[in-house]
Amino acid sequence: MNVRGYERGFNVALVTLDGVGKTYRGRTGAWEAVRDFTLDLAEGEFFCLLGTSGCGKTTVLNMVAGFEQPTAGRILLDGRPVDRPGADRGVVFQGHDSLYDWLTALDNIGFGLRLRGMGRGERRAKAEHYLKMVGLTGQGAKHPSELSGGMKQRIQIARALANDPRILLMDEPFGALDAMTRAVLQGELSRIWAETRKTVLFITHDIEEACALATRVGVMKRGPGGTLKAVIPVDLPFPRERTSDAFMSVFRDVHALIHDEIHGAH
Amino acid sequence: MRSTVRTERLVTVAGYLAGFGLLFLIWHLAATTLVRSTLFPPPGPVLERAWVLIEDGILQEQVIASLKRIGQGFLLGSAIGIPVGLAIGSFKPVRWMLEPWTEFFRFIPAVAMITVAVIWFGIGEESKVFLIAYTTVFVVIISTAAGVGAVGRDKIRAAQCLGATRLQVFRLVALPATVPYILTGMRLAMSNAFVTIVAAELVASNDGLGKMLWDARLFMQIEDIFVALVALGMLGFATDRTFRFLIRAFAGRFNATV
Ligand SMILES: Nc1ncnc2c1ncn2[C@@H]1O[C@H](COP(=O)(O)OP(=O)(O)OP(=O)(O)O)[C@@H](O)[C@H]1O
Ligand SMILES: [Mg+2]
Repeated sequence: MNVRGYERGFNVALVTLDGVGKTYRGRTGAWEAVRDFTLDLAEGEFFCLLGTSGCGKTTVLNMVAGFEQPTAGRILLDGRPVDRPGADRGVVFQGHDSLYDWLTALDNIGFGLRLRGMGRGERRAKAEHYLKMVGLTGQGAKHPSELSGGMKQRIQIARALANDPRILLMDEPFGALDAMTRAVLQGELSRIWAETRKTVLFITHDIEEACALATRVGVMKRGPGGTLKAVIPVDLPFPRERTSDAFMSVFRDVHALIHDEIHGAH
Repeated sequence: MRSTVRTERLVTVAGYLAGFGLLFLIWHLAATTLVRSTLFPPPGPVLERAWVLIEDGILQEQVIASLKRIGQGFLLGSAIGIPVGLAIGSFKPVRWMLEPWTEFFRFIPAVAMITVAVIWFGIGEESKVFLIAYTTVFVVIISTAAGVGAVGRDKIRAAQCLGATRLQVFRLVALPATVPYILTGMRLAMSNAFVTIVAAELVASNDGLGKMLWDARLFMQIEDIFVALVALGMLGFATDRTFRFLIRAFAGRFNATV
């Protein structure tokens, strides 16, 4: 493949996964978690990766983030191979252990800016802006231990956005929240995405969540050798009306694909 | 808000006072009704004797002598222990090399090192400072290294994908996350230091609370023994409270376990 062509910007894909595979080797022998995973993520899209537990979703995200290396195939960002974590890929983690307990919410949001050596005043102003974006104006002085689970996830999202990454990688960010908080945060994320048009790779095992947020939904086949089974475009306007017939119809399509996975038809 | 905090503090202090009051009461009853021997004086004469020793400036002298040694040795031990612990926790090769050392020496108590310390350093200040530093350093190393190892993986990963260099990960994530562990190690080391100082002064010293205990035994000044014991308990208690306060102030806000 002509790598120089990518460098000149001839390719529209922001992220390319090209025949990516991952085999873990450990005490219990080799386990092929992901096999031949191929996908192009276009600039500005909201891609939801959906799959049953253990099918390899986190593994895919960790490889895109650069936390783990593929054992087969390759991953490109802007045409350049990904080989380590970097500021161009913001990550929102499933749990909230990734927040810094010793920093205030505002300082957590400004952490990436501080790493870049941005001055205090400018950093503060920018962090305040993102604090407002996630709906936590006035709560910036609190420490993570003084925030609810939903608020912590908002801070994580603000922290990732404040760093202005090329793509936002989110691993079941709302998985640990109650249904009501989850619905609220889904709405907010949708609004933020519409405002910023940030490219998002969002992992979930919640079909409704995927249909409500995504411009495309990718369904994974379960492991060993988890891979992309089908990609369904969701051409519905935002904000999405979850009780509309159109939404129901997309939901049914995705559900049918997942259903086979749950009930073992390969 | 503020006033509830203050009320809580007052309640705590009142609790301590009541606790000590009860301790002295039981001591008094035990000495006057149960034991009734000159070898176990009740608190009254002991406190009277303490007052005399304070007026003569003798008690302060011993306390200051002991505290100075503890302070110096403790600071020296911490100053060595913290960086070494951080290195062991951060770099595998350092761990492989130094872990046998810490695992070896921590089973040789400072008390067992008194003989060597006296041979090497004489009965001057150096031997005591060495022993306190010795008893401090391994506890601090072990808990610091454990702290570095306990930094959550996601905390480090989050920093990496925000653009942190290795040095930034260490300075801005690993180090602050380890502070509560370092302070807890120092607190443990401090109580060891009290044990060690008395033993060292008993054996080889010209002053200090340990020496006071030893002399009092030689001359059968039973009240003096109890004065020294009470002083030790009080000092240890005060130091430990101070440490707990520091840990709370630095880390308590985000670490509910300390
Ligand atoms: N470090 C590892 N070593 C060995 N096997 C691993 C490792 N990480 C994941 N696996 C295996 O790879 C497979 C995929 O794991 P992964 O965490 O990607 O699943 P997932 O789709 O994110 O699941 P969930 O929805 O439960 O989070 C699983 O079978 C898991 O046991
Ligand atoms: Mg997962």
